[in-house]
Amino acid sequence: MRRWRYFGYRLLFALPVVFGILVLNFFLIRLAPGDAASVLAGESGAASPEYTALLREKFGLDQPLAVQFFSYIGNALRFDLGYSFRNDAPVFELILARLGPTLLLMLTAFGSALAIGTLLGLLAAVARNTWRDAVISVMTLICYATPAFWLGLMLIVVFAVNLNWLPTSGFEDIGQGYEGWERVVDIGRHMVMPASALGLFYLALYTRVMRASMLEQTGMDYVVTARAKGQSEGRIMFGHMLRNAFLPVLTMAGVQAGNLIGGSVVVETVFGWPGIGTLAFNALQSRDLNLLLGIFFISACLVVVINLIVELLYVSLDPRIQT
Amino acid sequence: MADTASIRPSRRSVLLASAFAAAAANAEAQTPARTPVRGGTMVMIVNPEPSTLATYAVSAGNIPPVTTQIYEGLLTYDWDLKPAPALAKSWEISEDAKTITFHLQEGVTFHNGQAFTSADVQYSFMEVAKKVNPNGPVILAELEAVETPDPMTAVFKLANPAPYLMMTLSANNIPVICKSVFEGTAPLNNPTANRPIGTGPFKFGEWNRGQYIRLDRNERYWKPGFPLLNRIIARFIPDAATRSAALETGEAHFAAYSAVNAADIRRMQANPILDSTTQGYAMTAATSVLEFNMRRPNLAKKEVRQAICYAIDRQFIVDNILYGFAKPAVGPLSSVFAGQGFFTDQVRRFDVPDRLDIANRLMDEAGFPRGPNGVRMSLFLEINSFGEQWLRQGEYLKQALAQIGINLTLRSEDTATWLRRCYTDYDFDINEPFYSAGADPVVGVHRHYVSSAIRRGTTFVNNKDYRSPVVDQLMDAATRELVPAARAALYHQAQQVMVEDCPGAWLCEVQYVSIFNKKLHDHTIGPLGAYQAFERAWLER
Repeated sequence: MRRWRYFGYRLLFALPVVFGILVLNFFLIRLAPGDAASVLAGESGAASPEYTALLREKFGLDQPLAVQFFSYIGNALRFDLGYSFRNDAPVFELILARLGPTLLLMLTAFGSALAIGTLLGLLAAVARNTWRDAVISVMTLICYATPAFWLGLMLIVVFAVNLNWLPTSGFEDIGQGYEGWERVVDIGRHMVMPASALGLFYLALYTRVMRASMLEQTGMDYVVTARAKGQSEGRIMFGHMLRNAFLPVLTMAGVQAGNLIGGSVVVETVFGWPGIGTLAFNALQSRDLNLLLGIFFISACLVVVINLIVELLYVSLDPRIQT
Repeated sequence: MADTASIRPSRRSVLLASAFAAAAANAEAQTPARTPVRGGTMVMIVNPEPSTLATYAVSAGNIPPVTTQIYEGLLTYDWDLKPAPALAKSWEISEDAKTITFHLQEGVTFHNGQAFTSADVQYSFMEVAKKVNPNGPVILAELEAVETPDPMTAVFKLANPAPYLMMTLSANNIPVICKSVFEGTAPLNNPTANRPIGTGPFKFGEWNRGQYIRLDRNERYWKPGFPLLNRIIARFIPDAATRSAALETGEAHFAAYSAVNAADIRRMQANPILDSTTQGYAMTAATSVLEFNMRRPNLAKKEVRQAICYAIDRQFIVDNILYGFAKPAVGPLSSVFAGQGFFTDQVRRFDVPDRLDIANRLMDEAGFPRGPNGVRMSLFLEINSFGEQWLRQGEYLKQALAQIGINLTLRSEDTATWLRRCYTDYDFDINEPFYSAGADPVVGVHRHYVSSAIRRGTTFVNNKDYRSPVVDQLMDAATRELVPAARAALYHQAQQVMVEDCPGAWLCEVQYVSIFNKKLHDHTIGPLGAYQAFERAWLER
């Protein structure tokens, strides 16, 4: 009961945050010089002033700022994200089409990074100051220091161009008409490299944090007590320490969860992955404000939701937190 | 259309030896054709992904590779850049050149099943192209009416002769759309904007944003036996290195408009499954230029502008920044116009041995002596955001202009900001764009130099504040002059005046390269290259 009250309170707190983001975004992105009409006209070569004016009128950019603002807020409250004139498609449709691939890629990368990172951190902590610890530490350092775009390109050169094991880029094979499991395998094959390029950084991070966190727990009183009780090392580690040691990792993962929705422009660009990151980048480049605001709004909502989930997880891991 | 011998684009040797030879000469040097086979899916790389397929209202360069498969124009062009039949099977031009009668192909249907008639032509030109096509006001300025005496005849009535009009009627410039689909709607909001319906060899299939556009064979295409391919997939890969990799692994078969980095092209030419060609760009040649903002007091001085022109080693840019895929430019008209006789190199030449001495002398004469640290003046250079090579060029220009005492600061901004600064706010010293010359100087050249094209807020026009009554007059006359030799003489004179005035510095004529898989044949079948349907293209099994 108390847990749900806490949850409700957090949810209530999130609403003004989302609203604030809405308002701030609207005015912030208008600080960028140039508008969608001028970019579109620019791409069309020498467009006449009448053509540019026609575009402005079509996009609603000829309206006073206040009118634009209130119609935007009104629409947003009704979850109507508007129309992307540049892409000639509803914003919601555009985002929805990209959200799936982004979430799939990010969850895979993030999930495996979290799982493997925690495990490696644990291993390193157990085998502290042995060759195993050293190997893991060096590996994580390399992964942490390698830029994702370079790693991505190297993966392509090795596994796609030279070995021909994996496709270079894209989400799936086009025009093959794969169904069911065939399609799952096909998408999986396309995802191996981008997920690796993206996940290795997080993996390194979580390994380091987990290792440090485990080592910190080792000297705690409750561990000494457990050992004095005669509990087995395995039980001490998995029954007592793991839970506590995992909290810092979860904190970090919770903060980074925002990246999940934002996608990674770099990795998506290198692998031609149809994600939100490149969509947002292109929207910014072309001053497609409706689309950009829509992406911001959806991202903000999802970040709030994910933060709530993380807090719920916190509470289940450490019941002391809810008060 | 007769099924002429298949044309296989040039091999590497041709690329290097005769990158700039007339397209016609290349066409004869083709290797013998193999027997085409039907079927297969061709994957081409289009970069960047188009924002819209409304090619009748937006003329961005990345749209036609997709839309010219779907829409057709009244005409196409042969290797000699002469008009050739497309939706118009023949035409007559009246004595006074004010009436052009097009006889249309019979038995043509749109992808929605509607028959193609002269009413569609009339609607495409008068209601769509003239009103919403960004190039419409220039190309169709003289077009007063399209008459339709019968369903298979369209008569163009012009107010004045327009010699350039016949060069601009291909699908990439003015696509013919289906009247019944557009009637009563605003063309920009038409539901088929992104699901185009045309008469072309391929039908729109689907557009999976961020990934690909699929085009399917038009089974009812009016040219019997064509197209040969079952499908065309236009794939979008944002990263240049990945685009190269997709070609190297054979995942993609064709990439035009230098979709791969110039630095990668040599490596790809060594790849046994790939080949390259520089053909197919004769009507879309691009020239890189510097534009001087003559509102600035120091750049208002002709000597300063000439000195900058002298200070630049264009061959260095060609060799080191564009990897040889270019040639030095000598003036405002590209040498692609040599075939029509418009181009001349009999102008003031800046590539003389003592060019730096001349440049420094000019700067002294202009009243800009070197300061204590050798600097005469400081200027900003606006870097265009269309590719890394332009930043490299800017870095070279900084070095080059330092030799004559100009301290150049490079400024890189995103496209929207750059457009606003250079074409609306006019808050620049030197701008660094590159322009397509178009199929005729009237389309792509005039607007950068005539004083009537000084229009604040309009992109890619005369932002230099260049006002030359002589050039205005010459170009105005060239717009209407029908006799080719007389028209050429006008252009020669205009080039001489402009090169003397130096409203800009003409740097390089950029040579685009198409990379293709050797299994793909007959893809580049005319001067329009990738802006022309792949109706004859076929894939070896």
